[in-house]
Amino acid sequence: MKKFIYLIILSVFLTIALLDHDSNGVAYNPLFHKHGSDDENEIAMPCGLGGTENHKH
Amino acid sequence: MKVFSKKTDLSLLAFSVVSVLIFGFILQSQISNRHFYVFLIGIGLGISLYHASFGFTGGWRNFIEKKDSKSLRAQILMLAMAVILFSFFINEKSWVYDGKMIGAVAPVNLSVVFGSLLFGFAMQLAGGCGSGTLFTASGGNEKMVITLVFFMIGSLIGTYHFDFWLNVPSLGGVSLLNSLGQFKSVLLQLFILISLYFLVTKLDETRNKKINHGDIYNFSNFRLLNGPWPLLLGSILLVIFNFLMLQVAGHPWGITFAFGLWAAKIVNFLSIADVSSWSFWQLSYPSTALENSVLADPTTVSNLGIIFGALAASTLAGKFFDKSNLNNKIILAAIIGGLLMGYGARLAFGCNVGALFSGIASGSLHGWVWLIFAFLGSLFGVRARRFFYS
Repeated sequence: MKKFIYLIILSVFLTIALLDHDSNGVAYNPLFHKHGSDDENEIAMPCGLGGTENHKH
Repeated sequence: MKVFSKKTDLSLLAFSVVSVLIFGFILQSQISNRHFYVFLIGIGLGISLYHASFGFTGGWRNFIEKKDSKSLRAQILMLAMAVILFSFFINEKSWVYDGKMIGAVAPVNLSVVFGSLLFGFAMQLAGGCGSGTLFTASGGNEKMVITLVFFMIGSLIGTYHFDFWLNVPSLGGVSLLNSLGQFKSVLLQLFILISLYFLVTKLDETRNKKINHGDIYNFSNFRLLNGPWPLLLGSILLVIFNFLMLQVAGHPWGITFAFGLWAAKIVNFLSIADVSSWSFWQLSYPSTALENSVLADPTTVSNLGIIFGALAASTLAGKFFDKSNLNNKIILAAIIGGLLMGYGARLAFGCNVGALFSGIASGSLHGWVWLIFAFLGSLFGVRARRFFYS
């Protein structure tokens, strides 16, 4: 029983992820983000993991 | 070699394999090859974390309560290997794409101090840290599923209070690599780590009289597919996978940003609040992550890999739902622990992975501050935990 509840929860989560992907698409790809004017090759990191965006805080 | 034991649940294994194939196909065909590689790295991380039972929380607690240094020694060796490897690649060109790789450097400020203190306290209540929560929840631990849900909520609340924490006193980002140069930075960090290794070993020996250094690389029960794996193998694999993450994603491994993002997307979807108007979600990276497909966010992609990897590993080990001892007090501990860990991780610019592991590997001072205050928080957390788990 627990296994089925677990699988249902996981399936709902994965379905939401797929629906979000379907509705929002990938108009902008974070992995190819160019960040800052002094170094065009520098990429951004999620705020909370560091990166130049955080240095301004 | 017998791959499947009597306890192996083939339906769960099939679920994880089919999920890997579906998401792998979508990532490779609709997003990018790099996302697909990040996903594969995540799967490797999930399997390694589960089979080596590599968690920070239990190891810290064992040391605090019994001066058992086994897990701490494996963690220190992991950090030392990562410091040596990462220091010579950060700010260099990636092998995988045409661009530079950057370290997990975040500011040293009061929010890191408070956030890591809170995180260290909360992870002892919940019984798992950022990576621990993810891989144990994926392996069927129902308490950690509750923790994960409240981790997401706490993370979202942290982003709501972002304005307040933005204005606390700060030294800014301090990169030891940039300040001291590669060699001095590596030597200084290795000196600290070696000193820590000897300190925890000495304290262990003093308390327990005898110490077995081989306990972290004991391969006597080793089984590749079914586990368990020795802690040191876990340490080595986590360093390798984190290094691959740096090469592919351009930044080291992180976990908790995705938790806040998932919660924000759900809140937006249910029209509970307009998260996009909050200042955190108007920053360059978070705003793009919120507007785009959740599968475009590399942290989400590696977390999905960890979920499927740990699910497969737990099934192969025959340990899915192995332990279940929920009661009201433990559920309350999971809720409080999850909420505070999520909030703390947001304030501290990451968890034990994004701030501690990747931060120290990147030569960021905030990683060391995180280590000190999270350990202090754990000292209090271990005491508070007794109320919930007695």
